[in-house]
Amino acid sequence: MIANTRKNKSPFSLGVRKKAFPWLVPLSSVRLTLVLLSLSMVLIFVATLEQVRIGIRGAQAEYFESFFGIWHYPTEFWGGSFLNFIPLPIPGGYLLGGLLILNLIAAFITRFQMTYKKMGIQIIHLGIILLLIGQMVTQAIQVESRMQINKGETSNYLERFHGVELVFTDITDASESKVVAIPEEMLEVGRTLNTPKFPLKVRVKSFGPNCNFDLKESGENRGNITAGVDRGVGVSSNLSITPIEEDFSAEGVNFSYAVFELLDQSKSLGTWTAVAHPAGNSRWELIHPKLAGLSFQPIRHDGRLWGMELRAKREYLPFSIELLGIENEFYQGTDIPHNFESHINLNLESGQKRKALVYMNTPLRHAGKTFYQYQMNKAADYSVFQVIRNPSWLVPYIACILVSVGLLWQFSFHLISFLRKQAKAAPAV
Amino acid sequence: MGILVFFGSCSEDPEIQSYSITPEYDGPMIVWKLPDHWGENPELSGPLAGSFHVKTDSGPKGRIGVMPFREAVSSLEITNMFGMELGYQGFNQETLKQVLQVKKIEGKNFDWIRLTERVQSENPSTALLAIMRNDKDTWLFPFIADAQLINAEMESFTNFLGSIIARAGKKKIRAVMPALPPPPVPTASGNPTWETPKHWLPGKVSSMRIGSFLVQDGNGKELDFSITTFPGDVGGLLPNINRWLGQVNLPEVNPDSQSKYVSEIILDEKSAQLLIAENEEKSVYGALYFGPSQSWFFKLIGDSELARVEKENFLTLLESVCFHDH
Repeated sequence: MIANTRKNKSPFSLGVRKKAFPWLVPLSSVRLTLVLLSLSMVLIFVATLEQVRIGIRGAQAEYFESFFGIWHYPTEFWGGSFLNFIPLPIPGGYLLGGLLILNLIAAFITRFQMTYKKMGIQIIHLGIILLLIGQMVTQAIQVESRMQINKGETSNYLERFHGVELVFTDITDASESKVVAIPEEMLEVGRTLNTPKFPLKVRVKSFGPNCNFDLKESGENRGNITAGVDRGVGVSSNLSITPIEEDFSAEGVNFSYAVFELLDQSKSLGTWTAVAHPAGNSRWELIHPKLAGLSFQPIRHDGRLWGMELRAKREYLPFSIELLGIENEFYQGTDIPHNFESHINLNLESGQKRKALVYMNTPLRHAGKTFYQYQMNKAADYSVFQVIRNPSWLVPYIACILVSVGLLWQFSFHLISFLRKQAKAAPAV
Repeated sequence: MGILVFFGSCSEDPEIQSYSITPEYDGPMIVWKLPDHWGENPELSGPLAGSFHVKTDSGPKGRIGVMPFREAVSSLEITNMFGMELGYQGFNQETLKQVLQVKKIEGKNFDWIRLTERVQSENPSTALLAIMRNDKDTWLFPFIADAQLINAEMESFTNFLGSIIARAGKKKIRAVMPALPPPPVPTASGNPTWETPKHWLPGKVSSMRIGSFLVQDGNGKELDFSITTFPGDVGGLLPNINRWLGQVNLPEVNPDSQSKYVSEIILDEKSAQLLIAENEEKSVYGALYFGPSQSWFFKLIGDSELARVEKENFLTLLESVCFHDH
């Protein structure tokens, strides 16, 4: 009775916790854990199949970065011609991951015993919870970009892999240029955008993530999308646009386009076409001289000269990187890369310079960003870094340390207990 | 619920961003203040070219251009380019001095050249050329219109030039001048033949022309007929049509509206374009054939009344054209 009283008095006892959080008890069920893990296997299987059809980025967005997805049984499978039309809801990564976290936390609170003997288990599970939460946080806030630098040149901006922006740049002053950037999420058809940062209104007439484009002969019909275009490259090159689906495959290239009208108060100044080249708008002149102007379509207003373009979303940095040299080596007789390395100067915000070497699996970390060696072209003398902004990058390391500590604790506990027992059982000499 | 709130709050709300950067644009920069009664022609060639017209009661007239050259271009070269179009033989340094003066406008020096079409007319076509040099750049501001309009707009043109702010670029560019043909490469062999109406007289001689005739009615009305050839497509159909429309004070057209003046025609079994553009005082009839490596232009321009009379003769001449290549 004294022992029972002593147990019941502990605020961390199982009984106390179950009474304090009764609604967590069903959530802590092991059966629930098994169901969630089984559904995770189904999710991975479905997403792997879909990846073939819609690409890895499409499968990630559709199934892993969502609460649920809709899957259609493949026609190639047995019975597919009958079953394909049935839309099957599949729980998504956010739902399953979220429920697994809840399940683990619930078990942590309502089922795990807080004793020295079991402390290792608690720490291991805490580490796993941290790993899962860290992964979800990373999914939500991680930003991936790229930075391409030609040898001998310096760059101070990043470009997103996906997503474009409609940009107006005032280049009138020699000392600095003013940029007004409208993200693609705001380029809704029919919307008129008005900001004090730009003297003209922008009326969006058409926007799409991908298109086929064609230069028509003089007098030929341009088609519906660009029919109303009466200014800029769209007119001088007689550019025709045909919208197509966004390509999510790993090798996919997407030419985002926008057709927009500029208004000075209520007076229309004309309608332009802008198309974003996935490798950068400086590439347009290589495709056709008439398209070179897509990197800078001028509009003058009130004594100021603005250039317009649709381009990959950019983030300008307070520091810059100068590419001094590149080395790439392949295993002898093969095309398998052995070593890619970039010699750089990091021009810091303070004005100082720092030399660094960026190569495979050895990134540069600065100002909350990590620069990985991504691509390289020795013939064209440029290097491309993949730049990750992930404030939660330490979380997996902390989680692994916690799991390791928990495992060490648990094994050490059992080992010491075993050795003690062995010592007691040994006959007295 | 917590997870939903978490993901809802983590997503970035899209918003228009504004920031300043170190200049990245390396082309030349030019801005100006346009007179209120000038309009802007929408189709520009190149990042810095400007093209304007004068708004009048009878519609847009004249053409004022802004043309950058990222290299030193001589006034002699520019004068000859425009002079040939207006019937001049060709200038040298000595004859250039007769038409060139230097004007200072708002602290900027301009080479000032005025060329008038070599025809007997009360209101001949005129090209007023203002050339500004800035660092190694050359900026050309041509004003092409009839003489009366140019005289009337002289003050506005001067004010426009005074408002110019220009900055040289770092990369080499040469402005496209779609309205101006390059120096011709006349070829003795390979020229077509045609049947000229008997009453057409030999016209002005020019290194550009492989055929040149003058049509007169004895009452002072005149037409100028020319056959010219150039390498390549010299800018293509639309720029050349607009150049000819400008010579008869008609507004420029775009690909959608060019059918008002342009239709298909067959020249010696080859597809060509026929231009019929009639204004009150002056008209132009033309045929443009763009061959694989060379272009051929047949143009009849001058008094509208006489042009209507000679229209059938012009069309008959076109039917007689033979390139002797089949």
